[in-house]
Amino acid sequence: MRMDATKSIVACFVTRLVLSALFPSLQAQLDKSVEFSTPMTSFRSLCEGVYMLKNGFPLYGGGVVHQSPLLILLMSFVDSEHLLAILYAAMDTVVAYHILALTRYFTQSLQIPLWLPSLLYALNPLVLLSCISRSSVIFTNVCVSSALLCAVQGNVVGSAVAIAGAGYLSAYPILLLIPLCGMGQNRQQKARLIAVTAATLAVLVALSYWATGSSWEFLASTYGSLIRYEKLFPNLGLWWYFFIEMFEMFLPFFKAVFNIFVVSFIAPITIRFNKQPFYAFILCLAWITITKPYPTLGDSGFFLSFIPFFQPLLGYLRYPIISCLLMLHAIFLSPIFYHLWVDLGSGNSNFFYAISLVYALALASIIVDLTWAMLRIEYDEGKPNFNLKLTQI
Amino acid sequence: MALLGKLHRRIVDVGLVPKIVASLPVISIICALFSVGWFALLPMEGHYRRTYISENALMPSQAYSYFRETEWNILRGYRGELEELMDVSIPVRNELVSTWLEEFGMKTAVYHDTQHGDTLYGLLHAPRGDGTEAILLTVPWKNADGEDNVGGAALGIALARYFSRWPIWSRNIILVFSENSNSALRSWVDAYHRSLDLTGGSIEAAIVLDYPGSNDYFDYVELFYDGLNGELPNLDMVNIAVSIAEHEGMKVSLHGLEGPELYENSFFSRLKVLLMGVKSSALSGLRKQHGNEAFSGWRIQCVTLKAHGKDGSHDITTFGRIPEAMFRSINNLLEKFHQSFFFYMLLAPKYFVSISSYLPSAVAISLSFTVASIDSFMNNEYKSLPFSTIYNSKAFVAWAITVAVSFAIAQLFLHFPAANLLIAASLLTSLSPFMPCVGYRISRTLSFRLKSIAFIVFGLVLTCLLTVNFALAFGMGLLAYPLTLIRVSQNGQQYKTLRIKNTLLLIISNPFISMLIITALFEPDLEGIQILYELASAWSDLSCWTWFVICIGWLPTWILGALSTSNKPDLLSVDGEKKEQ
Repeated sequence: MRMDATKSIVACFVTRLVLSALFPSLQAQLDKSVEFSTPMTSFRSLCEGVYMLKNGFPLYGGGVVHQSPLLILLMSFVDSEHLLAILYAAMDTVVAYHILALTRYFTQSLQIPLWLPSLLYALNPLVLLSCISRSSVIFTNVCVSSALLCAVQGNVVGSAVAIAGAGYLSAYPILLLIPLCGMGQNRQQKARLIAVTAATLAVLVALSYWATGSSWEFLASTYGSLIRYEKLFPNLGLWWYFFIEMFEMFLPFFKAVFNIFVVSFIAPITIRFNKQPFYAFILCLAWITITKPYPTLGDSGFFLSFIPFFQPLLGYLRYPIISCLLMLHAIFLSPIFYHLWVDLGSGNSNFFYAISLVYALALASIIVDLTWAMLRIEYDEGKPNFNLKLTQI
Repeated sequence: MALLGKLHRRIVDVGLVPKIVASLPVISIICALFSVGWFALLPMEGHYRRTYISENALMPSQAYSYFRETEWNILRGYRGELEELMDVSIPVRNELVSTWLEEFGMKTAVYHDTQHGDTLYGLLHAPRGDGTEAILLTVPWKNADGEDNVGGAALGIALARYFSRWPIWSRNIILVFSENSNSALRSWVDAYHRSLDLTGGSIEAAIVLDYPGSNDYFDYVELFYDGLNGELPNLDMVNIAVSIAEHEGMKVSLHGLEGPELYENSFFSRLKVLLMGVKSSALSGLRKQHGNEAFSGWRIQCVTLKAHGKDGSHDITTFGRIPEAMFRSINNLLEKFHQSFFFYMLLAPKYFVSISSYLPSAVAISLSFTVASIDSFMNNEYKSLPFSTIYNSKAFVAWAITVAVSFAIAQLFLHFPAANLLIAASLLTSLSPFMPCVGYRISRTLSFRLKSIAFIVFGLVLTCLLTVNFALAFGMGLLAYPLTLIRVSQNGQQYKTLRIKNTLLLIISNPFISMLIITALFEPDLEGIQILYELASAWSDLSCWTWFVICIGWLPTWILGALSTSNKPDLLSVDGEKKEQ
C-alpha cells in the first residue's frame, strides 16, 4: 500500500517533467490560452517582473506585472529552463503529497485505496496543464493545501503561516482563514491562528516593501488591481463581461458588489457545517473558485481533486452525470468559442461568455449537489439510507 | 420552494426518473429523428427568412456602374492577346502580363512556389485612405474544371485598368493571377500573410472571377461561397453579390442549379439547395475548389463568381459590373464586415436560415449520442459498480489507446496513402462481433463501459464541431448514428442474428466506408476511393481539418464500438462477474 502511494507521487512528478520535455512549445501555448492564464497569474507577466527586477526597473512601473514582489524575487534566482520545469513539477508534487497525507487521516471513513486521491490529482488534466503552463496559481495551491494539511494535523502555526502565504500571493484565499478557524479546537487555538496569520502577513508585506525599494506601490498593483478588477480581460469567470458594457460611474459600486459576493458565502458555509470543518473548507474553496475575478482551470482542477475525500457522500448526489457533462462541455467548448470570437471573427464575445456561464453553472451544480449530499447524510445521522427519498422545501 | 418540493415529490411518486432511464434508448432514437425532421422542415414557410443588407454603408448598386461597352473593346484586346498566350508557359505569361499591368501603374511581383505553382499579383495603391486595407480581385489561370480562364483573366486586367482611373478607392486593390484555383492560390494567400514583400495591408474581401472561354455572351452567374473548415463569408458579402447580379438582370445559381431550376421556388427546390449546401460545406476542400476556399482562416470575406453558358443574353461587361459594384460597396465600408450573419445556410439566393433555426438539429443529433452513452452506463446490471472498478479504468485506457492508434493511422496515411488497405482493415475490424468464435472476448461489463465512453466522447466532438463546422458535425452525426444501435448481447438471446446485425451496423457506420458510400451516391466528381486521397491532400495542401476530425473524432468511437461487440453472453449468472472483483 505504501509503495503504491509513493508511486502516485512519483507519477505526478514524472508526468509533468516528461510532458514539458516532450512538448516544449506547450508551455507558451497554454500560457496564451485564456483558460489557463490570466493577467494576474500568467508566466509571461512573471518573467516580465523578473526582467524588470534584474535590470533595476521599478517593478510595477509598466502596469504589466501584478504578481507578488517576493514571488518575483524568488523566481529571479531560478534562471534555467530545466530548473523551472523541475520547480513547477516539484510544486505540483508537493500538492499531490499533501493530498496523500490528508488521505491518511481519513482512511477510516473512506472506502477507497490510499493512493487514489493523489493519483487522481496527478492525472487530472486541468491541474496537469495548469502546471505545464507555469501559472502562478500553483504556488497559491501549494499554500492552501499545506494550510489544510497542517490544520488537519493540528499544527496551528503551520496552517496560519501557509494561509497567510496563500493570501499574500493572491488575496482571495485569505478568506479561507474563516473555515480554518472553524477547524480550530478551542477559542485559544483560533485566536492563535488569527494572530499568527496577521503577523505572517505583516512580515511578508514588510519584506515586500523592502524588496521593492521601500515603496508601497506594490499594494496597489497586486491586490489593488486584483480587487478593483483593473485588467478587463476575458476569462472563465463571471466578472469580465459584466464590466465591459457598464457605464463608468457604476463601476465602483458593482465591483464592490462582486467582491461582497465572494466574501458573503464564506462565513455562512463555515457556520452551517461547523461539525464538518474540512468539508466547509473545501466548499469555501469552491465558492472562491467560482466567484473570484480571475479564475483559471487550474483553480477548479485543484478544487475537484478534493472530491474523492467525500466518497461517502457521492451516493447521495442527485445529478452527478449532468454536472460532469456540463463541466466537460464547458472545458472543451471554451477554447473553440474563443477561437471563433478572436481568431476567426465569425463569433463574438457572447459565445465565450455563454461558455463561461456554463462553466460557472457546472461548478455551482457540483457545489449545490455536494451541499445537498452533506445535508442528507446529516439527516441520516451518518448511516447512509439511499432508499429514503427526501425533497427540499 | 414549496411548489418545487411538491413537484419533486410528485416526480418521485410517479417514478418518472426510473421510467425515463428505462426509455433512454427510445429517447436517443427520438433525438436523432427530431434532428432529421427539424432539418427537413427548415425550407418550410416561416422557418427561413429573406436576406437583407445589414450593413448600411454597403449600399449595393446605388452608384451607376460605368464598366460598359466602352470598356468592351479594351477587354477584347486583352482577351485576344491572352488567347495567344494560353499555350505559353506560366512564368513567361506572368512576365508579359505584368508588363501590361505596369503600363497603367500597378506594382507587380511574382510569388514563386515550385511545388504548387507561381502566382503573379499586382497592387494598385489607394488614392484615398491610408492604404492599410486591401480588396482582392483574383483570377486563376485555370479554373476548377481545368478550363482556361481566358475571359476571367481579360476581365481582371480590364477591370484593374478601369479601376486605376478612378480616384475613389480608399482601399488598395490587388489583382492576383494564380496558376490554379486551389493549392497555388492557397499557397499565395499563406505567403501574403507571412513572407511577401509587396503587400497592401489586411485583405478585407476577395472576389474570384471565373469566366472560361473567349465567348462574349453568357447565360447566368453561379456563386460559390463555402470556405474551408466550415467557414463562410459574411452573409452581407453574399447578399451584395446576389443583389448586384439580380439588379443587372442576371440569374444567380447556387450549388450547380441550372436551367428551369433557377426559376423555381418551392419547398423541394429550397430543400435541394439546403442539402447541396450541407454537402458542399461538409466536403469543402475535398471537392472541386473554385478559389474562394483559399481565403479561409484569415478573416477574408470571399466569393467566387462563375459565368455559365455561351449564348445567353448578358455580355461580358455585365459580368464585369458585378465585381465593379461589389468593389464600390466594399470600398464604402468603415469597419470590417461584422453586421450580418456568419453562420447561415442559403435556401435560395435570397432566402436563408440563421444559426438559431438550424442549430437545434445538430444539437439533437449530438444529444442522441450523449443519451446513448448514459443508456449504456445506466441500463444494465453493472450500474451500481463503484467508480473505481477495474472496468472503468480499462475502458478509459482502451479509449486512450484507440485515440493514439487513430492519430497514428491519420499520420501514417499522410505519408503512405494506402486507401485500399484502410478499407480492408475497416472491413476486417467490422467482423469483431465474430471475435468470440476464435476465442477472443471481453467481458460484458467492459462492453457497456466501452460503448458508454465512446458515445460520450463522440457527443462531445459533435458539440464542439457544430458551431465551427455545422455541415460536417451534422453529417458525421447522421452517418455514425447506426453505431448507437449496436446491442451488447444479452443472456439467452439469439446472438447469431445479433452478430450479423452488429457487423452490418459497424460496416455502415465506419468513417471511411460511409464516406465512400456517400461520395459514390451523391458526388459523381469523386470516383471510388479518391475521396480518401483527397482528404489527405486537402490537409497537406490546404490545411483543411476534415481528415483529422474524422480520424480523431470519429474513428476512435468506431473502434471502441467495434471492440464492444466482441463480447460473449455469459452463461454464468451476473453475480458471478460481480464476485470476480
